[in-house]
Formats: sequence, structure tokens, C-alpha cells
Amino acid sequence: VTSVLSRSGGAGALAQWVLVELQGEVEPRQGGELAGSLLGDLHYTCEGVPVLIVGHHILYGKVVQLEKPFAVLVKQGGASQPSPGRPHGHYTVTALIKTKLLFKTRPKPIITHVPKKI
Amino acid sequence: AEVDATLQTAKLNPAELLPAAHCISFGPQAGAGECCLLQLEPGLCAELEAGRSLVIRGEKDEQAVLCSKDKTYDMKIADTSNMLLFIPGCKTPEQLNADPASCNIIHSQVAGFSNNYWELRRCRPKLKKLRKLLMEDPYEGPDRLKDQTSTFSRYTTEDLLSLIQASEEEILHQLQVIDACKIEGYWRILQFDYEMKLLDHVTHLIDSESWSLSKVPLHTCLEELGSLEPREMIEHILLSYGRKYVDDAGEVYFEMREDKICRAIAQMLLQNAVKFNLSEFEEVWQQSVPEGMTTRLDQLKGLALVDKSSRPETIFLLKVEDLPEDNQERFNSLFSIREKWTEVDITPYIQDLCAEKQTVGALLTKYARCSTLNGVKVYNSRRPIS
Repeated sequence: VTSVLSRSGGAGALAQWVLVELQGEVEPRQGGELAGSLLGDLHYTCEGVPVLIVGHHILYGKVVQLEKPFAVLVKQGGASQPSPGRPHGHYTVTALIKTKLLFKTRPKPIITHVPKKI
Repeated sequence: AEVDATLQTAKLNPAELLPAAHCISFGPQAGAGECCLLQLEPGLCAELEAGRSLVIRGEKDEQAVLCSKDKTYDMKIADTSNMLLFIPGCKTPEQLNADPASCNIIHSQVAGFSNNYWELRRCRPKLKKLRKLLMEDPYEGPDRLKDQTSTFSRYTTEDLLSLIQASEEEILHQLQVIDACKIEGYWRILQFDYEMKLLDHVTHLIDSESWSLSKVPLHTCLEELGSLEPREMIEHILLSYGRKYVDDAGEVYFEMREDKICRAIAQMLLQNAVKFNLSEFEEVWQQSVPEGMTTRLDQLKGLALVDKSSRPETIFLLKVEDLPEDNQERFNSLFSIREKWTEVDITPYIQDLCAEKQTVGALLTKYARCSTLNGVKVYNSRRPIS
């Protein structure tokens, strides 16, 4: 059994994506659907420190150049989940990730009184 | 405006921030689990960027491996306690600084997220299966009826690529090492008796023509032996047991490989019994090799083992390629054949287990226990062998 990890998009450079690493889990607000919902705002300070505002939290992180880049594999055809023990089916290498934004510091809650409406 | 409001609420000073900001939301397929991450070892990233593909190989009962053009890697899932989100189009501070931000708000979507990824570790290609497959139907010569019939257990290069957990280059290299040849598009290994018959034709011809062992002419061999055996087979045996070269006049010659020929003849002698009296064997062996060749016991590394503890000393066939491929299983097998091994004796039987930068010493430290017997360092099993 052979699965080919082929390049997507033929000739030309592979897309470069970015990895964001967060502590804890990602859950939709108020039990809604994850798809389409907002994660938050990402800023960078003038010194290049990434700042992520998620809900009522501020997270400070750092930009890390990955020693071992990641390839993002997208499964082709068939909706079955890849089993944890073995990959199967055809995958396309859609993008490479050479940089990650690592947010390790504990989120600082943002204290507000009344949400301002602009 | 909303972004500014959020900043204000968060008590962040916009003056300390770069002007561009990302609004990150979850894309429509984000939760679907269709994406996963593969951590790349050095070199693989460059291969992908150069447009080459990678291949994952493995049957249901095998642990999956990933193969590049010339290397093989074990695949393992690594879990992380953190959440990894992958975001296309997300810019780094360098990129933002380099490009005067035309758009202050960049809307980015999380394409997927995961708390695990595939980890790779370079491993030895799993090539034992290659010999096993080719031994299902060894080539016994053109006259054999069965060769004209079923091609069931025959394998083309493509077949081998889909069945063997190794990269293409590693497979092709191994085919050369085991002297496989392509007959009618299929890779075949010669049956040993047939191989010896071919070798015998050649060595007899060398003898009757009084050729130098280092200057055997291809052309004459094909002429003289072409009526006995297929020309491709004659050339194949010369390539297997000799080193090809072309002289100034453009004639093709072979320098016969003494060690390999002596070794093959030893195998032929040893396979006929469980073990042999060492001195008797050595005598018969020397007499059986072509004129001008000298036999030496060190030609038999990985093929035969001498038992120095028996009286008289004996020798028996033990082929490293018949032993298990897995490290622990290999050592178990060796220790069940002999309880204590010297490093000199065991090395030929574990050399092939060494990973890229690993030494035999490191393997022995890991899988064996060292002790001293009559002043000699010996190795035995770490655990009792039943």
C-alpha cells in the first residue's frame, strides 16, 4: 500500500503558512459552530513580539523559526478520519510551515466594565 | 474600528504596535480534521520545494514509513499538550515591515488545528523482504519449463516499489548488491546451483584459455559459452563476480573478484551438511577454487562460523541474510546459536544493523552484556534465552 504525498499546485513555490501554538484547547464560544467563528486579533509590537487578543484574554508570545519545518497534508477524497496508527489514502502537501508563533505565557484576562459600543 | 476598540479595552498602546493587524477566524473546514502536520527532517523540505513527492509505504501489518527519493524514515505520531493552529496568509513581523502595509486589517482564516503531528526518524530501509520476494521464484535457467509459464511471483520495479518499505534508490542499490538481474522486465535472483553452473563455465574457460584472472575478455566468453547458456546470463555472471573495465582498444574485460568467487565456492561446499571438520574443509575448499586463487577464512564473514571450542574445530554455514531484520530479534537469534560471542565473530552478523552514525560497539552496549572469558572479552545476552 502506497500513499503518495504529492505537491499541490504544480510548479511554483509552495505556500508558506504560519503555525500558532496555544496552550489549552480551542472551543467555540457559547457552544456554537467553530467554523466561521472569530478567534481573535493578532498584533505585533514594534519589536516584533506577537500579541494575541482572544476573547477576554491577552496572550504574549514569540516568533520562532522552526528548526524542523512542517508540511501541511490535506487528505484527498474520502471523509474517513486517518487512524492514529497509520496514514492511508492520498495526501497533498498543500503548504510548508517554517515559522510559528508560540504563545506560552498564561493569558492575561482583560477586565472591562461595560463593553463600549462604537 | 472594532480592532481599535479591542485594543483600547485591552489597554494596549497602538503606538507600540505595528500598524497592520490580523483578524483571525476559523475557516469553514477548520474542524473537519482533513489536514494534518508532518514534521520534516533536514533535506525533505528542500525536496518538496523542488517539486518532488514523498511516498508513504506499508502494508496493514507493517509500521508505515515515509520515503524520499533516496532515504527511508519511520513515522510516529507525536502528541503535544498544546494546540497547533495552521494559518495561511498570516504574516510575520519581518514580512509586515518589509511590505508597507497597504491594508491595515488582514483577515486570516485558520485552515485547521491539531494537537499532534507526524514525526519522522531516519531508519534503515526494510530490505529483507526484497530478497524474500525474489526468492519466491529464483531463475533456474532458460531450459526450465516453469520459467515459460506463470509470472505470478515475479516482480517488476514498480511492483517492488509498492511492496518494499524503502526509497527507490535504496531498493535499486540493494538489487545490485544481491546480484539481481532483469529478465523480461522482471527482477530475478539466480538459483544458487544455476549461478554456480554459470560460474563454473567461466572459470573452466579461464583455465583452458590460460587467461590472467584480471583480464578475462567478454567477447570471447560470449562466443565460447554462448551455445551453452544465454548471453545475458554469461554477461551477468561476469558482472557479478568480476569488475568490468575497458582497455585502450575499447575491448571489454573483467578483473575476477577472488574473494567473492572463493566465498561462493565455500557456500557451495558448506550447504551440503550441518557442519564440517575445519581442516578438512579448508583443504577441499582450496582445491576447489580456480588456479591462482587463495582461500582465506576471513572471506567467509557473515557466511560461515568457526567453532573453536569443539575438538576438532568445525565450521558451519550461517548466513547473515537468513537472520531477523529487527535488532532485538537478531541478537536473540545470535545468542540462541551461540551463548558467548567475541566481537570479531559477532561483528559481521550485526554490522548491517548499524544506523547512520551508529557503531557496532554502540549496538553491543545496547543489546548485549560484556564479560571476560579466559582473558578474552565476550558478549552474551542481556536476558535469558529460552
